[in-house]
Amino acid sequence: MAVDLRGLAHKTWRSIASIQTGVVLLILVVILSAVGTIVLQRPVTEPDEMQNAYSPQVLRILDAVGLTDVFHAWWFLGLMLLVSLCIVAASVDRFPNSWRYFSRPYKYPDESFRRALHPQKSVAIADEESGLVAAQRALHSLGFNPERVVREDHFGIFAERHRISELAVYIVHASLLLIFFGTIVDGLWGWRGTLNLNEGQTSNFVELRDGATRTLPFAIRCDSAGQENYKDGTPKKWWSKLAVVADGRDVRKKEIVVNDPLLYSGVRFYQSSYGPNGKVDKFLLVAAPSNGSGEKREIGLAVNDTFPLDADTTVRFAEFIPDYAVRDGQVYRKSNELQNPAAHLIVTSKSAGKAFDVWFPRMDEVADNSKSPYQFQATDLKMGHFTGLQVSHEPGQWGVWSGVVLLGIGLAFVFYVVHMRFWAVPVCDPKTGKYSLWIGGTANRNRDAFEQRFSDLAASVEAELKSLAIISQSEQVATGVGNCSR
Amino acid sequence: MARAKAEQQQPATGMTLIVMVGLAIAFLLFMAFLNVVKSGNLLSETNLLFATLIFYAGAGALYLGFGVTGTESYVKFASLATWLGLIANTAAVVHRWYEAGHPPFASVYEMLLSFVWTLAVLTLVAEKKYGVKVIGTVTMPVAIVGVVLMQLLRTEVHPLVPALQSTWLHVHVTLAMLAYAACALSFALAMMFLIQDNMKTETFLAFTSASTLAIYASVVLTRFEKWGGLSLVAWNPENKAEVFLSKGVRLFVTIPDLGWQMTLTLLVVASPLVFYALARWKNNHSFLTLANRAVFLSILLQVMTLVMFLVRAKDGRYPSLDADGLFPTSLAASPFILSGLVGGVFISLLYLLLMWRRPDLGRLLPSADNLDRITYKTICLAFPLLTLMIAAGAYWANQTWGSYWSWDPKETWAAITWLVYAGYLHMRITRGWRGRRAAYFAILGFAVVMFTFFGVTYLLPGLHAYA
Repeated sequence: MAVDLRGLAHKTWRSIASIQTGVVLLILVVILSAVGTIVLQRPVTEPDEMQNAYSPQVLRILDAVGLTDVFHAWWFLGLMLLVSLCIVAASVDRFPNSWRYFSRPYKYPDESFRRALHPQKSVAIADEESGLVAAQRALHSLGFNPERVVREDHFGIFAERHRISELAVYIVHASLLLIFFGTIVDGLWGWRGTLNLNEGQTSNFVELRDGATRTLPFAIRCDSAGQENYKDGTPKKWWSKLAVVADGRDVRKKEIVVNDPLLYSGVRFYQSSYGPNGKVDKFLLVAAPSNGSGEKREIGLAVNDTFPLDADTTVRFAEFIPDYAVRDGQVYRKSNELQNPAAHLIVTSKSAGKAFDVWFPRMDEVADNSKSPYQFQATDLKMGHFTGLQVSHEPGQWGVWSGVVLLGIGLAFVFYVVHMRFWAVPVCDPKTGKYSLWIGGTANRNRDAFEQRFSDLAASVEAELKSLAIISQSEQVATGVGNCSR
Repeated sequence: MARAKAEQQQPATGMTLIVMVGLAIAFLLFMAFLNVVKSGNLLSETNLLFATLIFYAGAGALYLGFGVTGTESYVKFASLATWLGLIANTAAVVHRWYEAGHPPFASVYEMLLSFVWTLAVLTLVAEKKYGVKVIGTVTMPVAIVGVVLMQLLRTEVHPLVPALQSTWLHVHVTLAMLAYAACALSFALAMMFLIQDNMKTETFLAFTSASTLAIYASVVLTRFEKWGGLSLVAWNPENKAEVFLSKGVRLFVTIPDLGWQMTLTLLVVASPLVFYALARWKNNHSFLTLANRAVFLSILLQVMTLVMFLVRAKDGRYPSLDADGLFPTSLAASPFILSGLVGGVFISLLYLLLMWRRPDLGRLLPSADNLDRITYKTICLAFPLLTLMIAAGAYWANQTWGSYWSWDPKETWAAITWLVYAGYLHMRITRGWRGRRAAYFAILGFAVVMFTFFGVTYLLPGLHAYA
């Protein structure tokens, strides 16, 4: 029974590690993600748009199966986990072989290997030593670092380059796993939300995607925000001057724009929108005494500001109504949209013990502006603005980015770094009793370019042999002239 | 039969076609010159694009002539015309860049401009460096379709919205352009491999018929309206924009009777496939002859449909089912249908070219083994570029939206493209897929690339609203 179990586990492992499983999983991922781009997706599409697009029954089925939020469905996550498992299994299954290949390079080719290898070439040599020296010199001149290999009573030359290329595919697979790991960490511990701030406002509540709020351990204050436009009126730039407030102190200040966020203790603040908040920043007025005796003065008021006009009289900006309507001598707030604004000032005179209402625009059925001791002329209404911030915390993104960098390096190695190996072995032909130098080479990719390199090497070996022969002749050394029969 | 005719013809010196194309170019340039004299504005982008179009068209005609007759002298003049077109194209790119103040990557129009440029450069590289002379036969018509499409799209320079003001825009889009161009090249090479590999013309016939069928089926299924009309998006000529009824709901107008014509064409383009299936099923060769005749009929009808579509959808006001009154539409409102129709005619013509090919066409191409290897090499180039493109896009998205991956349709389809090519590499490296199967895979990959580039922009909604 135990043996059976082990056999079963082994079988499962083999099938997970197989390329067929990988391909089937990839096809599944492709199909499901394609479906996810064709069916409207939930959090992005508004509910009423969904109802417009699909009939209720269809929508119910889609929701039940999870096709309206494919990329966050449990089965999609499960599929991604299976893909990761498949990558791990395939890598673990194949790695020992590659590692053996990498850690114990094959330096001395045996006879069957020599017979099967392509490309190869045999060159006639005088004796073992001259062949070895020629091969060594030729490889040196090609920029290799050849070594002499001894097997029992045989000698050989071995040279290689970029052995690491054999492991490159594992770098690629590991980097993919690192990216998956990063996204999983973000999925579990990361969050995203929005934070809208009026100019001057401080807040530490972030509204999350799912409607919950999150309290930050520090607060963000928006000192000012603004928008710049192109000539045709389309927005060119949004900016906000933000300050991070912790323990009642400003610990960091930065002006952020789109594409340049503020980062503080792992939380990023992105500029995402900008607009009027329906509140008054400053109401600019020119005030002049009604009796015409004093000078005109320019004043600017925020809501609830009180300003002394002279020793006896003050003015207060009592109320701002963005969209007003008048009924029965009363002013009502119709909505909070900035459609039809009205401003209410109260001028108080101490000596007269009286307060006068002043309305902008003039509303004679509500108040008579001319009774007031001062007359006002509105020059400008400066509205306040809010800045819309995206807030996100992505603790896993460093995994993602390091995975991406590793992926780039791995792919560069996979496609452009070639593991080349060359062998040279002096061989004795027992029939003729002559020595010849067997040269062979192999590359793990880009074989056509390698064959050119190999023929260069062979030519270079022959040239070296020739020059060696000239030297040996000039030294008048008597040799066996390629006879190896003993 | 047709092949026999081609063989009977004398191996002409080829001067006739060269002279004709030369005269046509000269004539068109002269007309353009008159136009320039009238308007007094030589270096406007329209003129540059017009010159580009003329030269590319001339090059395309000569490359096609070379593809059919194998006359070597055509290639010299074809590459000359390509060079001239490339100069005009470069000038248009530079002009656009100067005018907009940013590299031309920010709208579909600008992307097409850069894409056509890259395609022309790659054609010349493939021809000069690798000796693949026939490649212009495929790439130049694609470039021509690109330039024609550009005439229909919005051309005004739009200032960059805040999200696009980033160096990463340029990195991302340059990588995308390079990757997509490499994919296009691998597609052309894979097609040539299939030709060189003596693939049966019938198989191409089935392919051609199936892809044109898919085009017409998708048009008819999505746009056929009651009483034989064809619904198109309404277009506001003043704003040069689509008309929206409410947020996300576009107004459609119905062009009467065009739907019937589309359906008829659908049936006719399907007929070669039916005959092919019959031939396979009954093992009867006479059906193949019928299928080839049906291809001629389908080309005729496709051209008629295209002309009718051009005439009726170009301007004009048509009723809508959703609102009272007549509304204008324009070709610019339906770029996807238009490119589908043009693409259908183009694919069918390519098939004709293949049917009439000279028996010694193989001599003009590199050997099948070489083509297979070069296809693999271009994909080895395209895949890392795709990876870097996606990575740069993710980094930029993280800078702008605060999230490196949001499963937006464009992102998802880019990932699907990546997965398809990853599948190709795995099958090739670990399973030793070579030859035809690898070529089919390369073609599939390019189809996905095209969908990501055009289909997602026009069919699926998302964050990538710019392009």
